[in-house]
Amino acid sequence: MSGGGNTITPMGGGGCGGRSSGSGGTSGGGGGGPCGACKFLRRKCVPGCIFAPYFDSEQGSAYFAAVHKVFGASNVSKLLLHIPVHRRSDAVVTICYEAQARIRDPIYGCVAHIFALQQQVVNLQAEVSYVQAHLASLELPDPQTRPPPPPQSQPQSLFFTPPPLSTTDLAASVSPLPSTYDLASTFDHAASPSSWATQQRRFVDPRHQYGRSLSSSSATVGLAGGNSDLEALAHELLHRQGSPPPTTTDDSPSRTMSR
Amino acid sequence: MNPKRCAACKYLRRRCPKDCIFSPYFPPSDPDKFSCIHRIYGAGNVSKMLQQLPVQTRAEAVESLSFEARCRVQDPVYGCVGIISLLQTQIQKTQTLLAKTQAEIAVAQTKHSQHTYL
Repeated sequence: MSGGGNTITPMGGGGCGGRSSGSGGTSGGGGGGPCGACKFLRRKCVPGCIFAPYFDSEQGSAYFAAVHKVFGASNVSKLLLHIPVHRRSDAVVTICYEAQARIRDPIYGCVAHIFALQQQVVNLQAEVSYVQAHLASLELPDPQTRPPPPPQSQPQSLFFTPPPLSTTDLAASVSPLPSTYDLASTFDHAASPSSWATQQRRFVDPRHQYGRSLSSSSATVGLAGGNSDLEALAHELLHRQGSPPPTTTDDSPSRTMSR
Repeated sequence: MNPKRCAACKYLRRRCPKDCIFSPYFPPSDPDKFSCIHRIYGAGNVSKMLQQLPVQTRAEAVESLSFEARCRVQDPVYGCVGIISLLQTQIQKTQTLLAKTQAEIAVAQTKHSQHTYL
């Protein structure tokens, strides 16, 4: 993945603003100056600095600022140490994404994106159910048969908008805690409460639904192409967020993301 | 001092003051919740984050942080991004199925109208 292959190039190299590792002398402590993380932390960048391959001295500081604010340098360092070297750049990208999402939305972070996607899935599945029922009625020999009414009849649109899910619904998929909160105010297109809401009290974790387990192994992710899709997604998500949020330090103006 | 320490103060092995910022959200009945959050974010960072939020939004923030932390613990490389990827894949498949079914409806309607005409 990373290493000299340069497969991860969100902003000019591996990780968030990192140069291609193994070249360019950004492994820290060399003639290239401190890496973005050490620059932000105002400490000496030692050879073998764990952050150096992923946070270059130009744009890396801004990205690292977000990561430091949300996760903390030591936590990220510990996290990276437990990840194989060839997977670390992917981890850094996703960590940067989550950090920036959390800074932009301090309450929900990237979970808001997950909710939006899940809402989209639910809407699409409802629509598929409706059209399948319609198709079934058309294929019946009796032309008088009418398709069953949609789950929520909305004469204006075929797009049904079931009530939004709550964060604890989401959390319930990974913990046995019951859901107690509602995020009705989170979604602009939230529908009015209905009986559907009382039925949908548990978020179906896509990992369980599809029998896939998320792990660092590419095989278990189950995506075509292995890790490459996730890598691309992680970088795309990071790119979509635009430039990293301005930092509170005095030497990190907001930077535009490369390409 | 809160005679019954919250899960956070229990984990941190400290006294739980009456105004403990963690205690409303980390009951002692669920120690794993805080340990997961602490492992990924650290108590200090979470405390700062919560202090910067209005009180009425802190519960949701804790739940979303807990979810993200669990995702990261389960998948240290991709965390929540793995779930986002799964959902996007699911959306693509469902859109394909929807388009296919709509095409089948169009064919069925055509056949039906031809049959009726004849």
